[in-house]
Amino acid sequence: MDKYKVRNNVRKLRFNHDEITQEQLAEKVGVTRQTIIAIEGGKYAPSLELAFKIALVFGVPLQEVFSYELEGNEK
Amino acid sequence: MSYQEKSIAVSLVSHLLIVVYYLVNLFEMQQTGGLVSTKVFSLWAIVIVSTIIVNIIGNILTNILLSIVHAIKTRSEHVEKFIEDERDKLIGLKGSKVSYIAFSLGVLASMLTFAFGQPPLVMFSLLILSSILGEIIGDISQLYLYQKGF
Repeated sequence: MDKYKVRNNVRKLRFNHDEITQEQLAEKVGVTRQTIIAIEGGKYAPSLELAFKIALVFGVPLQEVFSYELEGNEK
Repeated sequence: MSYQEKSIAVSLVSHLLIVVYYLVNLFEMQQTGGLVSTKVFSLWAIVIVSTIIVNIIGNILTNILLSIVHAIKTRSEHVEKFIEDERDKLIGLKGSKVSYIAFSLGVLASMLTFAFGQPPLVMFSLLILSSILGEIIGDISQLYLYQKGF
């Protein structure tokens, strides 16, 4: 069975969004900086609620922040 | 290392010290032929009370100490918010699950010793040991999850 993974553009969107820091983003969405680091590093797939909060901060649709792709299909 | 990881590391070291203390004392008692119920019961009491103190008060003290260290390092009046977010809670739950599985296996092993004719003291000693080892294994699994992700 093919293995899928949650991927994200959080780091890129942070830089495009007035270069906000991980700490600032963490504070806006109510998590720790370590959680943002883990999300950006692909070590943690956030809950639906947290994913929506992050998308809301950047003002973009959810699918522009997160995607569900086959492992090995890195852009 | 995040605050949560530091807290778990402190808890792990404390539990390791408790288990070493327990095993050393148990071994000494066995060597000197002093493995009698009164001495073993007092050893269990010390271990159980120490584990409770480590789990409850250890967390509070770690929080206070880390706040002080952070204030000294950053020379800032800003109080670091040590919040427990969804990832911390999830890792905590997974760690608890691993702890319970380890403890359950320890209970099974202790029952088997009794079933194979060992005295009750051996069964209860193994029970206490498996409870602390369960905590240790849970702590290690949490640290692993923080490092490797899931």
